[in-house]
Amino acid sequence: MTDAAISVTQSVVERFTDRYLRSLGCSIEKYNDRWDVVVPDEVDTELATGNITLVCGGEETSDKNNEKPLHPDSQFFQQILTEASKQTPTGKISIDTERAEIQIPSWIQEGNVKVSGTRFTPYYDRTALVILFQVGIETVSEYQSELIRAIAVDMRSEESLPQLEETFLRLTSMADDAVESTQSDLDKTSVQPLLNTAREQLVDRIQTTVDGIHQEASKAADAEVEEYRQMQQQRLQEIEEKHSTLSSKIDELGEAISSSEQTERVQALKKRKHLKSEYDEIDAEITDLRKRRDRGFPERQQEIRERHALNIQVTPLTITQVEYERGEIEFELIDEEIDRTVTVGYGSGVGVTEEIQCSSCNQVFTQHNPLQSLSDGLRCAECTSINDS
Amino acid sequence: MGSYDLVNIEVTHESADEVLDSLSEASAEGDHTQTVQAARLQAGQPDSELRSLKQLDENSVKMLEHQVDAAYRALFEMDGKALLADEVGLGKTIEVGMILKEMHFRETNDSVLILTPAQLAKQWQAELREKFGLDFVCNYDDGFKGFDKHEYIIASIDTAKSDRHRETVLNRNWDVLVLDEAHYVKNEETDRYDLIDRLSYNYAFFLTATPIQNELTDLYNVVSLLRPGLFGTRDVFHQYFVNNNQETLVNRDELQDRLNKVMIRNRRADTDIDFTERTIDTRKFDPSPEERELYQAVSDYVKGAYSQDQGQKLVLMLLQKEVVSSPAALKVTIEKRLDEQSELTHAGELESILDLIDGIDTVTKQERLLDIVEEARDNVEKGRVIVFTQFRATQRQVLDRLASEGYTVHSFHGGHSSQEKEDIVEDFEEEGGVLVSTDAMSEGRNLQFCNIMVNYDLPWNPMRVEQRIGRIHRIGQKRSVFVFNMALKDTVEEYVLERLYHKIDLFQQSIGELSSILSRLEESGTSFEDEIFERLVTADSEVDLENDFDDMAVDLQEQRDLADKLEEFNSGVFDGFDLGANDD
Repeated sequence: MTDAAISVTQSVVERFTDRYLRSLGCSIEKYNDRWDVVVPDEVDTELATGNITLVCGGEETSDKNNEKPLHPDSQFFQQILTEASKQTPTGKISIDTERAEIQIPSWIQEGNVKVSGTRFTPYYDRTALVILFQVGIETVSEYQSELIRAIAVDMRSEESLPQLEETFLRLTSMADDAVESTQSDLDKTSVQPLLNTAREQLVDRIQTTVDGIHQEASKAADAEVEEYRQMQQQRLQEIEEKHSTLSSKIDELGEAISSSEQTERVQALKKRKHLKSEYDEIDAEITDLRKRRDRGFPERQQEIRERHALNIQVTPLTITQVEYERGEIEFELIDEEIDRTVTVGYGSGVGVTEEIQCSSCNQVFTQHNPLQSLSDGLRCAECTSINDS
Repeated sequence: MGSYDLVNIEVTHESADEVLDSLSEASAEGDHTQTVQAARLQAGQPDSELRSLKQLDENSVKMLEHQVDAAYRALFEMDGKALLADEVGLGKTIEVGMILKEMHFRETNDSVLILTPAQLAKQWQAELREKFGLDFVCNYDDGFKGFDKHEYIIASIDTAKSDRHRETVLNRNWDVLVLDEAHYVKNEETDRYDLIDRLSYNYAFFLTATPIQNELTDLYNVVSLLRPGLFGTRDVFHQYFVNNNQETLVNRDELQDRLNKVMIRNRRADTDIDFTERTIDTRKFDPSPEERELYQAVSDYVKGAYSQDQGQKLVLMLLQKEVVSSPAALKVTIEKRLDEQSELTHAGELESILDLIDGIDTVTKQERLLDIVEEARDNVEKGRVIVFTQFRATQRQVLDRLASEGYTVHSFHGGHSSQEKEDIVEDFEEEGGVLVSTDAMSEGRNLQFCNIMVNYDLPWNPMRVEQRIGRIHRIGQKRSVFVFNMALKDTVEEYVLERLYHKIDLFQQSIGELSSILSRLEESGTSFEDEIFERLVTADSEVDLENDFDDMAVDLQEQRDLADKLEEFNSGVFDGFDLGANDD
């Protein structure tokens, strides 16, 4: 699954800044790397007021003469992103056949059969939602992971549309032909259930990433538990030694008591009483430690594992209503001498919407078992290779 | 492992209220695409660092600030489509090397095609391998199997456009295209232009020191190949930027602004490159009577044989070069020729030449070489001297003679493995003495630790001479460089040296200048070596010969002047991108 993040290069920074400022109503005069920007009073922005000069790629220096450096790490650009990312989080785009190139499915692309022509006939309009989520995965032992993912869901069937996610990312990339948007005509109540579906799908789709981090976190927790166990074992040995020393000392005092004079005996008795109480304390600690050790230090384990737990935070950033067309597509296929036309369900930007099976074995065509031959119907790679061998 | 499950996973879904609320707000009329982009950019990493630079070996390549800057801008500010138009000698190849290394590091270079003029292809290959560890196959390699069979290819642009390869080249979608001497494609009516126009690629880097050859339209053509649409249509471009009445530039600021998006031009004056002084000492010696007789006999033979059979040109040219290099070199070729062709028409003549060779006891050049190395032994660190010769037999003889005089000697030729070559250079640096090398010591080897070189014999190709000098006189050389040329009087060597090379000031050319002169010559279909040979064998008299060589020098001088003028013109036009005041 593609991460939706866009690399922040200098050229992207300049392009985005230019478009954003102009969209606000600012005017820009460019002199090589210096841009003189006029921000009209009526413009609703926190960025600046009046005249400022942006220096592309310039060093971060003091704000002299209202000069601001503009580069991927510059404060000004970060402010622009913060402001722009909150401005219009919902909207609508349309993907018609002109915008979206015909997508040849991987089960045709990977096989021997060539596509000589395509014809898409749209029957009806459909609506999908593409939701951009920010995912933060946090645990004490690993660096925090930040992902940004697009999830596309058809509004009526609630089916997942992974191809549409790719199309959406392409259309909203920083290329010059980014799609134009209009205001969404959906309301909260119709979007809410879809949002929940998208959330579930998202959690499902990031499972592999989460598993990787989870495994590392678990290893780190286990290591800490083991470290604690060893420390306690060491402590046990130390106090066991002390325990035995005290026991010998108490025995020695016993002998002294029976053979000494009155005054010395009283002293020895006092001392033995003191040692015995110390002995009893250590004895209790040993019993407790042994008991806890035999149970595997459950409280401590619990505490460690809780501390290492993965905290996944899912935040929806934008919701885009996507209008697309559904219908049928005809693929004109050629395999050496034979040609054949296959008609399958298709959506603009969504790709092929139904599964097609091998005429011989009824297996569904996939990227790994693609359409390989047109003789005797549509035949998959596996069937063709069996016949060949 | 089961115990891993003991670490909990807690998923928190943050409220979507803020986003959902916007569905009913007036702000929803704004540019939603822009907001999506901002959100995606916020999650993106700043990508503005040449990450592969750390991997480069500083001993193999010394990167200069302007080169790193150019590579950075081409990649990150121009989105991988740039015209690198530094003035000559500032290391455009290094800039491309850095770019390709970085793309390799980021795995965005699955297939790369580098198109160069024919004579530079191997040089590119060696530089990328030795300086950047990038392995390219060249169309002149034995192992080259076609443009669809390798991922990293360096080829001459004319091979790529030939009927045999053109379709394969065009059928492929290349990740990266590098075009050296991009001014070759200035004319939109040529096959070369057509090839580049039709090539399919994701990233492209064009190199030229002189983007404008004749008129501003040249620039339009080159830039339009790289960034179609940047300058609009040809007519509009012409109307907008050229004042037709006075043929001067108008709207310079606008032109400069647009060029800034695609072109990088560093000027020598703005960089910190500072070459040390170069002293040329040409020493001419009177050949002994025996050597003179031998030279005459070989020249007569070559002239006679060539007039009868021009098919033998290559071998005759070889004999003419060898006779001034050493009798030993000549002997090997003649014996081989006699051996291979028993029914040779001139066998008697060749055998008498062999007798003349045997009659030579003292080789003049060899003895005089001793003077130079002796001087070096007394005056420079570890007495390091590099002696270049074109021939292995000469090399052997020189090595024996120097060793017999007690010099520490090192031998370098094409027959060594890469590791052996490394070891030889290392030994030479440590032990000092004399390194006798053939021209196999090519690009990419850094020998700045030595500052004296001897041209024991002289290649007829000035590019070779420049390459030899370039081994020691390069960025990083801290001392003055001394180049000794050895020539026998009244021989072809003296003509080439005196009449041609000195007249065009070859030995004082700044690095890179020559390639632009020779590229021009090559454009006009002239092979320098052929030209020398033809003049030598067809001249009827000494006076004729001198006049012929003078003519050639004039041609060369003209090319040089043209190249200088162009460079000057381009400097004037771009003036480091300050295109000057508007004429309008």
